[in-house]
Amino acid sequence: MRVMRAEPGRFADMTTRSVGRVGRAYDLQLTVYAALLAAVGLVMAYTNSIEAGTAVLEPGSIFQRALMWTGIGMVVFIVMTAFDYRWLKTLAWPIWFVNAGLLVLTLAIGSGVGGSARWVGIGPVQFQFSELAKILMIIVLATYLGNREGRLDSLASILGACLLMLPPWALVMLQPDLGTSLVLLSILAGMLFMSGARLRWLLAMALGVCLAIPVAWQFVLRDYQKERILSYLNPSVDTQGAGWQVHQAQLTVGSGGPLGVGLTNGAATRGGFLPVQESDFVFAVLAQELGFLGALVVFVLFMALLWRILSCAWRSRDPFGTLFGAGLASMILFQVFVNVGMVIGILPGTGIPLPFITHGGASLTSLAIGLGVIQSINLRQHRAEW
Amino acid sequence: MNDGLFNANRERDRRPIRFLVFGIVTILVFGLLTTRLAYLQINNGQQLAAQAEAQRTAEEAIPATRGLIYDRQGRLLVQNVATWAVKITPSELPFTERDDVAHRLASMLGVDPTEILTTLDSAPGSRFDPVRIAQDVPEDTARLVAESSDELPGVTVGVETRREYPDGPLLAHILGYTGPIDEGTYAKLRSRGYLADDLIGKTGVESTFESELRGTYGIQLVAKDATGKELQVLSNEQDAVPGASLTLTIDRTIQREATQALKWGMKAAGLKRGVFIVMNPQTGEVLALVSLPSYDNNLFARGISTKAFQKLLNNKNKPLTNHATQAHYPPGSTYKLVAGTGGLQDKKITAKTKLRTRGYLTLGGARFYDWNRRGFGACDLNCGFGHSSDTYFFQVAGMLGADRLAHWAHMYGFGKATGIDLPGEAAGIVPSNQWKIDALGQPMFGGEVYQAGIGQGYDVVTPIQLINAFSALANGGKLYRPQLVREVVGSDGKVISSFKPDLIRKMPVSQKTFREMRLAARSTVTLRHTYNLVDMPVKVAGKSGTAEFGKRDAKGRLPFHSWFVGFVPKNPYKADFSKPDSELVFLAFAYDSRTKGNAGTEIAKAFLQFHFHIKKDYLNRDLLRRGNFYQSN
Repeated sequence: MRVMRAEPGRFADMTTRSVGRVGRAYDLQLTVYAALLAAVGLVMAYTNSIEAGTAVLEPGSIFQRALMWTGIGMVVFIVMTAFDYRWLKTLAWPIWFVNAGLLVLTLAIGSGVGGSARWVGIGPVQFQFSELAKILMIIVLATYLGNREGRLDSLASILGACLLMLPPWALVMLQPDLGTSLVLLSILAGMLFMSGARLRWLLAMALGVCLAIPVAWQFVLRDYQKERILSYLNPSVDTQGAGWQVHQAQLTVGSGGPLGVGLTNGAATRGGFLPVQESDFVFAVLAQELGFLGALVVFVLFMALLWRILSCAWRSRDPFGTLFGAGLASMILFQVFVNVGMVIGILPGTGIPLPFITHGGASLTSLAIGLGVIQSINLRQHRAEW
Repeated sequence: MNDGLFNANRERDRRPIRFLVFGIVTILVFGLLTTRLAYLQINNGQQLAAQAEAQRTAEEAIPATRGLIYDRQGRLLVQNVATWAVKITPSELPFTERDDVAHRLASMLGVDPTEILTTLDSAPGSRFDPVRIAQDVPEDTARLVAESSDELPGVTVGVETRREYPDGPLLAHILGYTGPIDEGTYAKLRSRGYLADDLIGKTGVESTFESELRGTYGIQLVAKDATGKELQVLSNEQDAVPGASLTLTIDRTIQREATQALKWGMKAAGLKRGVFIVMNPQTGEVLALVSLPSYDNNLFARGISTKAFQKLLNNKNKPLTNHATQAHYPPGSTYKLVAGTGGLQDKKITAKTKLRTRGYLTLGGARFYDWNRRGFGACDLNCGFGHSSDTYFFQVAGMLGADRLAHWAHMYGFGKATGIDLPGEAAGIVPSNQWKIDALGQPMFGGEVYQAGIGQGYDVVTPIQLINAFSALANGGKLYRPQLVREVVGSDGKVISSFKPDLIRKMPVSQKTFREMRLAARSTVTLRHTYNLVDMPVKVAGKSGTAEFGKRDAKGRLPFHSWFVGFVPKNPYKADFSKPDSELVFLAFAYDSRTKGNAGTEIAKAFLQFHFHIKKDYLNRDLLRRGNFYQSN
């Protein structure tokens, strides 16, 4: 990695630019789509709160927590928008170490279900640092690959990126959190692909991963993870074990029909048959209560958001911007695909949150950082005119 | 200043094709998700919604109250008692939690967890049918389990009624008991509305009148949550109809008298098994039917432990077997009824015909001994039957031949189950030439015909067959099916069926023959073959029997069973046996008695003393002492 330097000259940009230009550079559409998706998330938190039988604004209710994290997300988004993203390049190494530190901390003092270590309690709230790791690693990889522009088709660039990703990925696997580790891999793959890495190297890597799967099955994956994967391969046989959730999710989704059963009306027909509905399976509730039409609207919002992120990446004259956009888009696309795919029974359950809609503080904060950086990139693509 | 930093002047390597590919992948991903979603929600929406609905609601059976059972005097013989039962529905118990739940539940119920798992695995129904883990659970245990339902997925606690038999062993062989349905029965009865965790009559009239007693189960629609917990009853689709009640022909008082008499005799003689039956020969009604040893049917109704069940099964005196109907034994001299009736009816002899009796007959170089080694001299029917002369009946049997003897045995109902309302009745064996050819490949030898004539050799009968044959003698040739139920009354009070004598056959035998045979039976008593039975105020006719079985001991003596079958006239105090008017016939059977005298006769006398409230004691206790008095019957 190159030496990262603070560049005082950049501070001038914002102050010297006219407000109108800033307004034009700011991608209002992106903010609107993100806000709409966050709003859908709040609506789902609301309906789940009602169905869980708690008062909506009662402290600790699902909705109240979602509201709090949405507020925090908005602040983070605004701060990141105002923050000159170019500083991130300077801060890449410290970010990498902080990230690794947080993941080690999670392993040390974290708690989770079934002996795993995923959450760290900060006061009354639980925070999942592996969620933050995704966006932090996008920053680190964008900095690294951006600095290697011109040499991106070399094997060294690919190996370097992989080497940077390896420690946090391994720490996440140790938790163990298969879902997040897969998201990290998808980010790596997406960013390498968009950086222009040689396809043959990428294919060779993909082949390597495929060969590693049997080894991983034997030595790395825990029993419950294997069970989930097996239950995906044959969900109707064991409707009681891990396949139970997948089966129930499909029943829930299917019972929504084209137009849905209406918000807060789902619980009566779910009757508690879909466990953990408020976490990774929230899309099942969404599809049930808002129907095919509602799900379609959410898909369209996601596609529009991805389009805006990719446009930013395309417009960016800074390779960091391009790569950051690519990483964020890869992350969102992969998470939507795997989460929804799991709910509707075309992919195994891996515990990946649905961006904006799964009620998780870390996930939302992570997205707010990402989108804030994207806006920051949008705002700072014009040369100083003086 | 920033050109170098932003690479703005360099041609930016944006890779438009990769952007395009990314875009296409995005569109493909969402296309795939949308397609699958449309398949689930639009194509299969209704079906999946129905499936979701179906798992939430369940049709549940409302068990019907089982019908009650009364004795002929209207005394209640069985009660329905509400008890707590713990059940597990396997489909609602995640496999991964099975062991945990079994352990937790086992510690609450105080049983072995493997027992719970075994019960689960051997359950007859599907995964969706509840399996009874424990019945008759104490209330506080039931409450504990119910309150821990969150940690016990799939476990339910419910009220179910079980049978309580106040008289226990007294009527166990008649009433039987109810118990959990087994796999094979469930497979057969499932279509008739039986549940996998149903209780069903297993033996006795509980089994034979199962369909009457059971009633019709109702159906209710209930809402359930994911743990299988019943949330509410949505609707009553069909009300349960309580089962019909039975009034038995059994009189509990007579049953007690018979039991008391048999127990006394068995104790006095040190016997291990015995049977006592009392019938009304005019109708075929069974008034008492005792098979000892008995067992407590409440053990089964409460859910017998494997250990207790094994103990009953391994008891060599077979308390679970109804020896009156389910086992057959050699009838001994009581069978001379057949040879006598046949000889008279086939005109081989008349009642007056005198046959020379002696210590033994020789046939084909073999000697066939009379029980009396001196013989009785020239003997007519009353003498031959009354003294139970073997050589007399060897000759009668020889005159009849194997097949005519078998014919008359069949006429009396031997060799075929009587059709009494109890399960598992044995048929007995009537040897004939054809039977022996089928069974052993050759016809009967002459000596075997002799043996058949006196109820030895191949002859085996069930006690119920034997008493039924004597009933036909007592009533003048009407062979009735022995019955146990007088009346079936529906829950609405309407009589579904009332008692009708069920005639198997009117025997093709003249009343004269029967009269002569009854008088011959009376002479058994009057000739003091049965000692002081003749002195009793109650006038009895009958036949004793001593049937050898098993292996000879060191002194060459065979163990034997003792029988006595008798009847009293309509007016039991007037010795008139010319009319077929008897309303009481009784049978005593002492298994492996080896007493000095005939234990059956003493037991019958004890019964008569109880039944007719005879104050004076006529019992000969010394005859019940062990000692091989008889060399041969």
